[in-house]
Amino acid sequence: MAAPITIHLEFGGGAELLFSGVKKHHMTLPSQSQPWDMKQLLVWIQQNLLKERPELFVQGDSVRPGILVLINDADWELLGELDYQLQDKDNIVFISTLHGG
Amino acid sequence: MPVLCSRCAERRAMLKRPKTGHSLCKECFFWAFEEEVHQTIRWGPASGGKDSTVLAHVMKLLNERYSYGLELMLLSVDEGITGYRDDSLETVKRNQQQYELPLKVVSYEELYGWTMDAIVKQVGLKNNCTFCGVFRRQALDRGAIMLKVDKICTGHNADDVAETVLMNILRGDIARLRRCTAISTASEGEGVVPRCKPLKYAYEKEIVLYAYFKRLDYFSTECIYSPNAYRGYARNFLKDLESIRPSVIIDIIHSGENLSVREGVKMPVQGTCSRCGYISSQALCKSCVLLEGLNRGLPKLGIGKHHRLHNKILAQQPFTEKEESKLKPVEF
Amino acid sequence: MCQVDEDYHGDLERAEVPNVSKKCVKCKEASAAVVIRAGDAYCRGCFKEYFIHKFRAMLGKNRIIFPGEKVLLAVSGGPSSCSMLSQVQKGLSRNAHKKLRFIPGIVYIDEGGALGQSVEERMKLGAELQAMFKATGFPFYIVPLEQVLDLPSSVVVMAPSSSEQPGSAYKSAVNAFIQSDSSTCLTPQDQEDTSLPEVQESHTRSLQHLIASVKTLTARQDLLNTLRQHLFVHTARTEGYSKLMLGDSCTRLAIKLLTSISLGRGAQLAQDTGFSDSRYGDIISVRPMRDYSAKEISYYNHMFSVPSVFIPSLDTKTTDKSSIQRLTETFVTKLQGDFPSTVSTIYRTSEKLQTACRSSSTANHCERCLLCMCALDTAVENASAFHATLISEQFSQTKVPGATRTQIPRQNPVTPVLTPTGQHCSSDGEENCGRKEGGGGCCYSAKQPQTTNLKTLLCYGCQMTIKDMSSVEYFPQYILSEAQRRRRRSQMKEEITEFLLDDDDDDDEGN
Repeated sequence: MAAPITIHLEFGGGAELLFSGVKKHHMTLPSQSQPWDMKQLLVWIQQNLLKERPELFVQGDSVRPGILVLINDADWELLGELDYQLQDKDNIVFISTLHGG
Repeated sequence: MPVLCSRCAERRAMLKRPKTGHSLCKECFFWAFEEEVHQTIRWGPASGGKDSTVLAHVMKLLNERYSYGLELMLLSVDEGITGYRDDSLETVKRNQQQYELPLKVVSYEELYGWTMDAIVKQVGLKNNCTFCGVFRRQALDRGAIMLKVDKICTGHNADDVAETVLMNILRGDIARLRRCTAISTASEGEGVVPRCKPLKYAYEKEIVLYAYFKRLDYFSTECIYSPNAYRGYARNFLKDLESIRPSVIIDIIHSGENLSVREGVKMPVQGTCSRCGYISSQALCKSCVLLEGLNRGLPKLGIGKHHRLHNKILAQQPFTEKEESKLKPVEF
Repeated sequence: MCQVDEDYHGDLERAEVPNVSKKCVKCKEASAAVVIRAGDAYCRGCFKEYFIHKFRAMLGKNRIIFPGEKVLLAVSGGPSSCSMLSQVQKGLSRNAHKKLRFIPGIVYIDEGGALGQSVEERMKLGAELQAMFKATGFPFYIVPLEQVLDLPSSVVVMAPSSSEQPGSAYKSAVNAFIQSDSSTCLTPQDQEDTSLPEVQESHTRSLQHLIASVKTLTARQDLLNTLRQHLFVHTARTEGYSKLMLGDSCTRLAIKLLTSISLGRGAQLAQDTGFSDSRYGDIISVRPMRDYSAKEISYYNHMFSVPSVFIPSLDTKTTDKSSIQRLTETFVTKLQGDFPSTVSTIYRTSEKLQTACRSSSTANHCERCLLCMCALDTAVENASAFHATLISEQFSQTKVPGATRTQIPRQNPVTPVLTPTGQHCSSDGEENCGRKEGGGGCCYSAKQPQTTNLKTLLCYGCQMTIKDMSSVEYFPQYILSEAQRRRRRSQMKEEITEFLLDDDDDDDEGN
């Protein structure tokens, strides 16, 4: 059993619009049998936070192309993307690049 | 274990570069990003700016670092969209103070007598992007002339350019296909200020991360009038392509730069508009035709191809009923 | 910003549901059976006539195939190439109106080895095709892809074209042909009763190693394309054919055009998608099906019982995003559904393009890509995407003393580009580390230098493809030895260059 963890989520670049315009979220992920990874987090976000039009945020089991993901301010591509295992107090940022310049 | 920066091999890498696949730390990324823009513009200084915070920031920084000797100014267009442009203009004003650059705002209302809000009221949501695009292009030129600048820099990035290459193929617009990868437009004639795109080779991803890491004050809300649907197709396609092979954006630009047009293919001849003197391949420029349509209450005048009617417009003659019926706004 | 180049002339019109009249638009009598373009409904008879006429008109208009010439038809088993085969059969028949006058043969490449098909599966498909080809009476060649392993290096060398024939020559050739007794030479040669060629297991394994060394499906498909092309050209050369007929439909070409753009192959777009392609010099490829949409072809095949065989390919049953080629296909197909003029608009774009050969004014002087044989498009100009990428690579790597003063020389087979960083290079017995080109950077493994070395001989698109390969050591020998020959030549040229009189600086000036 992995203990519950708290994480800090942030949505920007327009992605916050899908979360009722709220940019910053302090969240506690419940304990579960295996440690949390990004893939599960996306599912969790979809079920618990996402307010509208999920297709604008997720596609398949990943984020929609054009949404950047930073884990503790580092590009998630450097950290294994969906396989990254979340740590307590991680800071995850989603920035949409899809409009505005 | 953290990935180390491929450049300094000391600090932890913070992003993976889509163009090359390298991993860089924040400091090396800033340096590389700025230097690459410098490489892109070193042969042609420019002045002016659009709503792009990164462009203004980098241009100012490089101008000082390399003593370009440029006199930079910010030029912004107020399309008159309540709840969108008024907010973003606030950001531009804050930028102006931060960067201590003069700012000029030109509005559709003062130039054309129409705000986008009013235009949408008449034409609906279907073709409003055509109006906005045409008017913006000319508004930038007019603003630039008021400011007496020699060049306009726009914030178009690599993604924008690649997307335009795709768009022009999908529309079969061979003339634009040939021009759209040019980094800088030559002076096309009176009233047109040469433009350049210093961020042409910079990925959107890097621009967004640059702004994020540098904590730049930037504005990001989608235009409330739904964007051009057809461009949306191209954009989504490009993003999907990028997820398969990140270098694809620069690859598309490379393709665009190496295309050439068969001899004997008719290209439009640039002339000038008989009404306002702006460049145009027809008797009247697109902007004057659109405006005429708005003023006559026949907004579709500039949407299709109605070149035959240009002479009537110039002679200020009324249209026949049949002609008018085709150009009336759609009921909605 | 919502629009890049702002003043577009409005969007393409979205499809209105066509007002299908019940009668054929052509004869206005029979009831309509097929809607070709929006609103154009043809009856069965008129559709057939239109379809057949279009094929001969395409060949007639382009005047590239001479009477009595041997033409090799590349048939994949798919609907489009099978339709082409049936058109050729019809056109050659004794009573055809506007009779075709060339001598056909068929080539089919069995790619089962690359796809991991079992020997039994391959035999079964092979037998099906064999039966179909036999029925035509034309000579045919069923070639396993494994044969690329035995190709000679001459495949990747441009052969001199068989004397440039001017347009007027076409007419006199036709006349001469009609006067001579043409009936004998038009009878297809006797088909040898060929059994399917045996494939050595070790060859299949080598092929599979090569395919497996390519890490992405995008690059795999691209490489397979190239190898297939080599095998076509080789078969044509050895069997005495001078033209190669490809069955690309308008829909396929639209997809190919957009794919080529995404693969960085813009410079070769005109050749990749135009009516004819002469990059090999002596063997000219032609695409007589390029005016037909996939829809027309499948209707025709269905209505007039043209047989075809389903042959699985690398991207069969993969997801939309498995490769750039696959994604583009899905994109174009979907867009065509919403905007019926999509394919024809893209296709029209291809008509207006021409290959830019920047390297030299005389076409013969163009350096050609080792793999795809197009003119090299990697001469670096100061403000180009390629230049920008080289700079980005340089700026993203371990600092080189003095690197801030950026100086990226032209990329050129003889000019080393980036200064070596030294420290990471393991000396693996080759001369690579001293002269690293192409911005490949420092070698990460012992195999890297070879890839880097090969890169300079490739066009932009092929460079992107080998970038996705773990190693180039699995390349067939003919490619590797030709690479070596070219490198030696350019080294030699470099060595003697100071003794030469300065007649032209073709290779040193990129444009």
